[in-house]
Amino acid sequence: MNAIDSVRDILTRNMRQSGIVIAFLAIVVLFAALNPNFLSPTNLTNIVLQYSYILILAIGMVMIIVAGQIDLSVGSVVALTGAVSAVVVVREGMPWYLGVLAALVVGLLVGIWQGFWVAYVGIPGFIVTLAGMLLFRGLTFLVLDNKSLSPFGGTYYDIANGFLNGLLGGYGFDVFTLVIFAIAVIGYAVSQWRTRQGKIAYQQTVESMPLFVVKLVVIAAVVMWFGYQLSISRGLPIVLIILAVLIIAYTLITQKSVFGRHVYAVGGNRHAAELSGVKVRKVNFWIFVNMGVLASVAGIVYSSRMNGAQPGAGNMFELDAIAACFIGGASTTGGVGRVGGAMIGGLIMAVMSNGMQLMGVPQSMQQVVKGLVLLLAVAFDIYNKRRASVLR
Amino acid sequence: MRGRTPLLALRQVSKYFGAVEALVDVDLEVHPYEVVALVGDNGAGKSTLAQVVAGVLTPSSGQVEIDGEPVTISSPSAANQLGVASVFQDLAVCENLDVTANVFLGQELRGRGGLLRDGEMETETRTLLEHLTVRIPSVRTPLRNLSAGQRQAVAIARTLIGQPRIVVLDEPTAALSVAQTAEVLTHIQRLRELGLGVILISHNLNDVRAVSDRIEVLRHGRNNGSFPATAAHEEILAAITGAA
Repeated sequence: MNAIDSVRDILTRNMRQSGIVIAFLAIVVLFAALNPNFLSPTNLTNIVLQYSYILILAIGMVMIIVAGQIDLSVGSVVALTGAVSAVVVVREGMPWYLGVLAALVVGLLVGIWQGFWVAYVGIPGFIVTLAGMLLFRGLTFLVLDNKSLSPFGGTYYDIANGFLNGLLGGYGFDVFTLVIFAIAVIGYAVSQWRTRQGKIAYQQTVESMPLFVVKLVVIAAVVMWFGYQLSISRGLPIVLIILAVLIIAYTLITQKSVFGRHVYAVGGNRHAAELSGVKVRKVNFWIFVNMGVLASVAGIVYSSRMNGAQPGAGNMFELDAIAACFIGGASTTGGVGRVGGAMIGGLIMAVMSNGMQLMGVPQSMQQVVKGLVLLLAVAFDIYNKRRASVLR
Repeated sequence: MRGRTPLLALRQVSKYFGAVEALVDVDLEVHPYEVVALVGDNGAGKSTLAQVVAGVLTPSSGQVEIDGEPVTISSPSAANQLGVASVFQDLAVCENLDVTANVFLGQELRGRGGLLRDGEMETETRTLLEHLTVRIPSVRTPLRNLSAGQRQAVAIARTLIGQPRIVVLDEPTAALSVAQTAEVLTHIQRLRELGLGVILISHNLNDVRAVSDRIEVLRHGRNNGSFPATAAHEEILAAITGAA
């Protein structure tokens, strides 16, 4: 396959996925052109910090959407877990890790509760989590006694606001950050190389060697540039490490594990999955347990970032997380969607919000634009599907 | 054929849904290297029988024997463990998954830490499809990009995972074109050559006569005659409609 053919192949073979990446890059370029501060080190760091909790939620949400369900309660769960943590750390004066632990346990219990109703009673996730949205919001008010609790301070505050900086020194930039990014780039290159070798071994078509190298170099350059920007700003945000670990772990779980395969099967054809011996109830149960735990991680990060817990925290987060999944290519009918796609979908929302804020676009207008982007993304998806079915 | 212990035997199997008698005292035997066709009018109990064998339904009374041993087939995965694999009409595949994932669904090869052994599964899928002489562009093609006949071929291929001995095919040629039907019938013959016992459920007498060794007729949930594949068309038709 020559280079031009394979470029065309990459673009058309997976129009949905590559379309999203191109849209993301276009938005970044647009805002960079409109506002010189957009790509500044401080602002890039801010984007990561501001949207980390939405991205964490989107990881769990994309698995739920792939299985053909939805979770409307995650915003309330973020509030509840943050509130419990605040009670433990701020009101009771216990150490920070007990607050983290308490939040995780509450998230786990919430997940078990919702998973039970969806999987074993058979109530649609939409209803169970709509109830959960009210239920857990109410519990948040109870736990907090209708009052805000702050400040956390100390180590807990550092979870979302801290940076690793100066571990290996450096002049004006942080060597440690660069080392971590270099390891990430090398790891990515090696895994891509192995995938390519595997495909060749199974006699599948791959993009031509020069194109493969160019692709790797471009990605490596962009990632290293981003790492450098972070390193000359405040170093490596702790929350970025948490996020990276979660993304890698969940990409593995969804794409390479038996459980992940079964999640896709349940979303694709529930009945066929059941007849094939997939334990559909178990799958439904565990995706909600997983979502509960991830929502508590998001709750910890958010309460840490806010340095306190408010009764109204996390309001509408569920909608941002769901939008991230759909913009990132998840299908409304289930069975299709990827963690990576949801992350790019979330970043598109993040970059748009941040870019519009920098330009001083009023809040009302931001909402309008985000709404239209969601609508267009799903319309594009449906248009592609229709074209694909005509082609067949 | 007679006299040997059958691979699968149903003895006096009945299934009631409330007051509805779906199956009444049905007997059926399947031997290795044999394709048994199950024919009958709509509502004759063919699919109920298939679901009993596949472990989707449990019989109200009667006995199911495999190799002469009485067994209880309580679920589809229990059926798999007993060596019974099934293809159900229209419900057999996940269109969002690729060929390999569908073939191994529910019986994935696990490596370290519950991770999928994708390479091995792909190799085995390719071997299986070659055995069945199925032509598919790539084992990584999602099922939604395949034709109805190719999807049915994948559904038949997936029955061969885990070395089953009995394969139940419920209307495998419904909704297929003439050419696709011919292809699926060749796959069924390949199953017989591999030494399996096959239960083929169909509406289409021509298909049935083309591949089966024996034709069992069901009518109103009861046995209504057993014919060799060479029997006259009219004779079988009469047993199906009850005209005789």
